[in-house]
Parts: sequence; structure tokens; C-alpha cells
Amino acid sequence: MAVAGAAGPLHASRKAKAGRERARRVALYVVLAVLLAIVLTPFLWMLSSSLKHDIDVLSIPVQWIPKDWVWSNYDSIWSVAPMAGYLANSSILAVTITFLQVLTGSFAAYGFSKVRFPGRDALFLGYIATIAVPWQAYMIPQYIMMQQAHLTDSFLSLILLQAFSAFGVFLMRQYYLSIPDELVEAARLDGLSDYGIWARIVLPLTKPALASLALLTFVNTWNDYMGPFIYLSSNNLWTVQIGLASFIGQYSAQYAMIMTGSVISVVPVLVIFLVGQRFFIAGIATSGMKG
Amino acid sequence: MKHTKGATIVVTIAATAAALTGCAGTSGDSGTAPGKTTLSIALWSYAQTPEFKALIDAFQAANPDITIKPVDILNNNYRDKVTTMLAGGDTTDIITIKSTTDYAGYAAKKQLLPLNDLQQKLADKKLARLDNYDWKGTYYAIPYRTDFYVLYYNKKLFKDAGLPAPENLTWDQFADQATKLTHGSGTGKVYGAYIHTWNAMVQGLAAAQTGRSQLDPSDYGWMKNQYELTLRLQKAGAIRDFGEALNQQVSYQTEFETGKAAMVPMGTWLIAPLLADRKAGKTDVDWGIAPLPQTQAGQQIATAGGPTGFGINRRAKNVAAAKKFIEFAAGEKGAEAVASIGIVPAYQSDAILKRYFGLEGIPQDDLSKKAFAPDVVRPESPISDSTAAINTVLNQEHGLIMTGSKSVDDGIKEMEQRVTSEVLHQ
Amino acid sequence: MTSLAEPDSWLPEPRTTSAGGGRTSPANPPPSRRSPLRRRATLVGWSFILPNFIGFALFTLVPVLAAFVLAFTHWDAYNPPSWAGLRNFARLLRDENFRVALTNTALYALGHVPLTLALSLGLALLLNQKLRGIAFFRVALFFPYVTSLVAVAIVWNMLFNPTSGPVNQFLHLIGAADPPGWTASPTWALPAVIITAVWKDMGYYMVLFLAGLQTIPREYYEAASVDGATGWRTFWNVTVPCLRPTTFFVLVMLTISSFKVFDLIFVMTQGGPGRSTLVLSQLIYQVGILDGDFGYSSAIALALFLIVAAITVFQFRLQQRREQ
Repeated sequence: MAVAGAAGPLHASRKAKAGRERARRVALYVVLAVLLAIVLTPFLWMLSSSLKHDIDVLSIPVQWIPKDWVWSNYDSIWSVAPMAGYLANSSILAVTITFLQVLTGSFAAYGFSKVRFPGRDALFLGYIATIAVPWQAYMIPQYIMMQQAHLTDSFLSLILLQAFSAFGVFLMRQYYLSIPDELVEAARLDGLSDYGIWARIVLPLTKPALASLALLTFVNTWNDYMGPFIYLSSNNLWTVQIGLASFIGQYSAQYAMIMTGSVISVVPVLVIFLVGQRFFIAGIATSGMKG
Repeated sequence: MKHTKGATIVVTIAATAAALTGCAGTSGDSGTAPGKTTLSIALWSYAQTPEFKALIDAFQAANPDITIKPVDILNNNYRDKVTTMLAGGDTTDIITIKSTTDYAGYAAKKQLLPLNDLQQKLADKKLARLDNYDWKGTYYAIPYRTDFYVLYYNKKLFKDAGLPAPENLTWDQFADQATKLTHGSGTGKVYGAYIHTWNAMVQGLAAAQTGRSQLDPSDYGWMKNQYELTLRLQKAGAIRDFGEALNQQVSYQTEFETGKAAMVPMGTWLIAPLLADRKAGKTDVDWGIAPLPQTQAGQQIATAGGPTGFGINRRAKNVAAAKKFIEFAAGEKGAEAVASIGIVPAYQSDAILKRYFGLEGIPQDDLSKKAFAPDVVRPESPISDSTAAINTVLNQEHGLIMTGSKSVDDGIKEMEQRVTSEVLHQ
Repeated sequence: MTSLAEPDSWLPEPRTTSAGGGRTSPANPPPSRRSPLRRRATLVGWSFILPNFIGFALFTLVPVLAAFVLAFTHWDAYNPPSWAGLRNFARLLRDENFRVALTNTALYALGHVPLTLALSLGLALLLNQKLRGIAFFRVALFFPYVTSLVAVAIVWNMLFNPTSGPVNQFLHLIGAADPPGWTASPTWALPAVIITAVWKDMGYYMVLFLAGLQTIPREYYEAASVDGATGWRTFWNVTVPCLRPTTFFVLVMLTISSFKVFDLIFVMTQGGPGRSTLVLSQLIYQVGILDGDFGYSSAIALALFLIVAAITVFQFRLQQRREQ
């Protein structure tokens, strides 16, 4: 598979290779189609279940096509639970946290990768080390701190907890490592300050990384269940994931609503992915950056 | 420079987010008017547990000077959230006690206020299962509802099979009936019974009926008969396979309502949803209840059961109002409110029972009424400091025995050994 | 300024340029130890790190350190803690549950890390090209990660149902006489969880790899092309070395997240059947929050931390050796 080669601009003798190229493409589509079928099968069942009655969702044998098409699920879910409000709450949290995480994460990553100063690496190690501690282990001390600061049951508590995670710093640092130091050095010789280098050279160069960090942070926040569950008590602050879990009662669960809600909750993220994914193929305009 | 602009944006966004009060539903906290008390109650799945609304509405009608603010917590993680909240010094006034296992946890940590004054005040009311809350002489909670296990049966399936109603069954007779009631295959298969996947369905019932306790791991041999019976039924295909039920998250309510299972041993909490579903036209199942099958014929009717109640947070701000609420919920007015939606109240009187059996759709036959008056109700799991930890072990081994990964004897031996070494000798 | 190399540093040097298509990076200027410059660098460095560090230290580092201190106490997460010295750690050594959970966690990581790494890298390479409909394929493969966990657990338990589940029906169809019991079997529950986790996570790491591929300066490919390299040679000489920081990041994050796995197992099997999918994070949760023994659960967390830290340091060392 000369897959990687295709990413590079191999212009030489294009015509001679046209036939082989077409065969390769067909093979590629076949592979992708098979992969897609495997990956999407569970989702198709979810989609179909979102159009069933509650009691038909987990019936045995498995129903792939709904017995009755309950389209009204997509209508009633908005009144059964305040779904629109849940979506709005999730959006507020996800957007704010993503913005802060990308901004402070990429800023700190520059300090960790392009400025050398004593103690830097030890500090970085401290960052990564905390990633290795499961949240369950410090959830209670953290909650006590938040309660003392009277911040529980507010969006601010979750924003403060999740916006400054070490994940973004680590991720951006790794991408910054692949930016040649000569570039930074040359800019310094041109009299640009480090802040200027970060803003005008490093940031534009790592757009794909920024896009992926933003996307992943957004999805993680969007899908987080335990954090909002522990910190947000008032119903009017609840997020989509809490809303979905609230369909599970003490003695029974509204499975069709869970599936309908899950399908709905996927849509905003997919829109963001479709919009953002152009960054992954657009490539970066490196020409002229050789200083 | 760019980063200063960024910093401005950060501050603006953070400030906006902090000011936002959320978009879903109505805000419960609208400030307290002078002279009015706002009482907060931690409870679960408010929208799907109608008894809470019934109680709160009735109380507020009787006490217009007290406003109640429910703190709605997801059912699945109720215990986890309450533990975290209390650790953080939360001041929610009333904590609803979901199970006696949870109760043991709160009591051991002394997270609730002693309510012996209320207990003495209510002593003449003979609240059912109040003694389950006796923690070394102190009562940290008062029950408002009670539940115990009965046998639900599908009258039509019994009639079709030409069988009499399941009166005075032993477990062996129950197994016979279940085999006879099983018929069909594939989608149309009807099981004679459905045994839910909880370990209480085997261990809890066996404990209550043999009078033994899970707290004593020296000999768990009393579980053996119940395990062998259940496994026999499973092997014969008269009950749904444990692994399948677990994976498919089979709902006992759905199994019973759709006529997939002719008999379902289950707690009295199933009555209210059955009534509600029949009323809503979701099911047309013709059902009755019978006393739980017994280990031997001709004995007293023994079953497992437990209370649901309210306790007061040690850090509560409105203790007087909280006591008022608990007394109301445990008393006649509270009992009327919960009984009117099919919940069995802890407070029991002829008037309440009459009201209960006057509910639309409730079975009126004598057997059902008899099922309502078991001779002995023992806790499905007695309480101590280690109830939760013991239950974890017992539940793990339950899964292994029921999936056939371990023999009954090996499983029981492992339970005895693990509870002794992991829980009691720690 | 960029070259105040610390001799004992084991962290990877930003030296990726040496990997690019036969190019070599210019020699760095000699290290300068003069203090004004150094102080200035320190100030500049900290100014970059501070906005994130304040939030991180306050809301993550402090609670983590608090949990580590609590590991040396008996604490029920409510009443005042009492000093326990090393007793929690002594208990750890003879705790059968800890041993089981550690084994399960390690096995999970052994299955989850290589599978996810290979698949996500493969997918990223496959999807890093200009093809009609490529956006659709990318979105589709990212789907599983976006799907809410509550739904994922329901779907996969349904698929893995030993008697009526589609997975076993398919295995029957292709001739398996006795297909596994999956989540209903103590032997197969862990593989079932791993399969679900790989399905869910590969799209996530694919995104990271895609970004990494896009960050490789195009000049390297041009240079390789000028040198006459094609296909595999370009892949080995340009793509692989340039992707190394990303691969390293993915490897470290995958390892750490595998050792901390909680959510998926919590909703899918709750650790069962028996203890067959009990993992360390779940044990921490069970012991600390449900059984009210937070001191001991902190000790388990500290042990988990030390294990993961050791593995991560090892990975950093290995990475550094390869760089040189």
C-alpha cells in the first residue's frame, strides 16, 4: 500500500500510473466500505431502535427493522424531557471549555516546547503524571474544595475543572515538536518576541492540531457524564448525557427515548466534525515559511 | 497583541458562563419569601417516581408555610452522588433512604440525625419495617413505604394451561408449575417464570425464608437449595437464561406485562407501575398476586422485605420543618397520598388498606389479599458496617454461579472464604 | 536561547528536523549559561505556562496531592481522618481484589493499546488523502466515539448476547460450533470489553494521527520526491519519523487511559461476571465511594499512579533513545 505516498505530491509520470492508480482507488473504496459496515452496524441498530416502542428495543430475537415505525419518538422526546435545554447546556459547557483548553493549552505548550528554562521538564512531567491518576481517586477532595468555594451546582465549577487539563498541553507540545526550531530561531533573529512567534508562526502552522484538540475536547466534554452528574444538581443545569441517563428509572427504563436522545445528541458533534475536518485535509501552507 | 485579545475573550466567556443559569426546565430556587421555609429533599428520578410528587403535594397543601425543593438525583448513581455531596458538607435537609444497605452506610458514618424522638412518637402507629432502621438502638430514619416480595402471576396463562391459581406453593411446586406453563419457541416462547438477575432473588429470599443472615459467613449452605432450584429451571428452559437476561437488560415488568412470563416473584413496588400501565392502555395483562412460594408446605408465610424512608442530614438547616415532613410522610396523610398511586405505605390501617384495594385495576380476589398479609417479613439483607462490602462479594459470586462458571458448592465455598478474609478480617 | 540543554534531561529533544528526507538540522549554538538570558527565558517560559498552570494546579494538582496524603489515613469521606501510616499499603499487598483488578487492568491494556494504535494509525493513513467522499468516511469512523456511553453499553451487550446476539449468530453462520459467551462468561467478558473499547476509541486516535500527518511539512515530501523516493521509502523515511511525536503521544495517552479505564466497564459489565472485568479504577470507586473506605482507595490509586508513571517514564526513555 503506497498510501503515504499519495499524501505527498508525487507528480512524476502521472499518465503512466493512471491505470494502476484507478485500481488502487477501487480497492481503497472496497476496504473503506467493509470497514464502514463493521463500524456502523451498532449505530444502525441504535437508529432503528430510536424508532421503536420501549418494549421492542431489547426484544429477543433482535429486531433490526422496527415492527412499528414510531416516528413520534423524535417529536415526543422534546416534551418528555427538556431536551432542547439539555442541548443548550451541553453546548455552553463544551464551547467554553474547548475554547479555554485550546487557548491556554497551546499557549502553555509553546512554553514547554520552544522556550528552554530550568525546571521546565520537571514541571512538564508533573503535568503528565496527573493524567495517570484516575478521577475517581480525587473526585471527593476536589468536590470538597469546590463546595468550600461555593462553586458546586454551577457551570463555572465544571469549566474550572476541565478547561485546564494537562491533556491539551501535552497534545499541543507534541505537535509543536514537529515544527523545526530553525523557524523559531530565525523569527527571533528577525526581532519577533516569543508571543509574536506563537501567534504568527506556530499557531497558523499547527491549525490541524488545534482543530483536532478542539474537536476532541468538545466531544469529551459533550459526552462527559460523571462530571456534570456530580457537580450539577439543579435540573435546569443538566446536560444531554444526564438527560439520557435520566430515562433510566428505579424499576424500568425508556430505552427508545435513550436511543432517540443518543441519535439527537450525536448530530451537533457531527456537524462540528464536518465543518472542522477540512483542516485535516487542507494541509498547511508551509511554502515561503523557510525564512 | 493576539494573546491579550485572547485573554479578554477568556474573561468574558468565563463571566458569561458563570452568569448563565442553565436552560433546561425551570429553576427551582426562586428565593424564599419572609416567614416561609424552603425544605430541600434529596431523592431519585423525580419524573419517574410519582410517590415523591404525591407526598410533596400533599404536604405542601397541609403546610403552606413550607416550600419543598426536590434535589433530583439520577437513580443509577444516587448513592454515589449523596456520598459525594455529604463529604463536601452539603446542607440538603432530608436524605431519602433508598435501601437498607445505603442506610447502613449513612448510619455507620453518623451522617444523619438520630430520630428516636420521632420513633417514640410514632411507636403506637406500628409502622411496618421500622425496626429495620434500628442501628444499635438509634433510629436515623423513619419509613414511609414498605415493600415485600410476592408472586405475580398471569391469570390468563394459568387458565390456558388449566392450572389453579398458585396458592400455598412450595418452591418445588413452583418449579413444576413453571415447567408446565412453559410453551412455544422463538419469538412466541412463553416462560413459566422469570427470575430477575439480582442476587437478592436467590440469596435474599433464601435468607429471609430460612431465617439465616448474610452477615455470618461461617456457613452459607442455606443458599444451596434456592440456587439448585433456579439453575434447574434455567437448564430446563422454564426461566430465561441468566446471561441473556443480564446482557439484554431484560425488564421484569416488560416480561410480565407482555405475557412472556407466567409467574414473576418480585417486590410490591411492581404494583404501582402495573396499575399505571393498565390505565394508560400500555398492557392488558390480567394479573393477580399470591404469597411467595415457601421452602416447605404448611409453614408460616415468610418473605423478604424492607422499608424506604427519610432521614435528616446532620448538617440540615431546617431540622424542625424536616421533622414535620417526616412525621407527615410516615403518618396517615402521607400514607393516603402514596397509597393512592399504588405504593404500600409503612403506616397501615384498615382505612388505608381499604383505600389501597379500592384502586382502579388492583386485583380484588382473596388470594391477592392474602398475599398482602404475610406472616413474617424479614430483611433481605440485615444491616451492619459491612453490609455493602459483603453484598459486593455475594453479588460477584452470584453472577459466576448463575452463568454456570462455578458450581453451586464452589461458589458458596468461595463466598464464605472471601467474605471472611476480604471483609470481616480487614 | 533555545539551547539551554539540560544534560540530565530524558525528555525528547525537539529534533524532528533530523528525520526529514536526509536533511540535517544546523548545529545549535553552544549552550549559554549567562544568567540574565537564563532569567529572561525563565520569565518568558513561565508567562506562557502560567494561564494554564494556575487552573491546573488549583483544580487538579491540589486534589491529587490531597488524595495521595489521604492514602496514609483511614478516612470514610465524612468524619475526620485518622493516621494509618503504611497500613493501607500492607493491606494492598494481601488484597485479593487488588491482585485481580491489577491483572485485569494489565490484560485490558495489553489488548487495547496495540489494537487501537495499529487500527487508528492504519485508518489515518487510509483517510489522509484526497478522495471523493473522504469527509463522509472520516465522520463515519469517528461516529463510535461520539455516541453516548449509555447507548454504547446497551448496543454492545445486545450484540454480544450469548444466545440471541448477532455476533454469535454470525459466528454460527461461519461454522463456529460453540461460540463464546462474551459478557456472560468470565473468560470472554474482558475480550468483549476490549473489542467494544477498540471500536469506540479508534476514531479518536485516528483524529490525532490525521492531525499529525497534516502537520508534517510538505517540503520533506517534495525533497524526498526530488531524491527519487516513492511509496514505501517515503513512508519510512518521511512519514514514520515525522509522525513520531504524535505516535509517542498516542502511545502514552493510550497506555495511561487503558490503565485508568472506568466508564465503559462501569456501564457495560460493572466488573462482572464475578470479578472478571473488575479493573483498578472501578475498585477505587467501589472501595472509596460505595464502601466508604476512601483512605484505602487512595492507596490503590497511588499504587496505580506509580505503575503508570513507571511505564510512562520507560516509554519516554525509549523514545529518547530512539531519537539519538
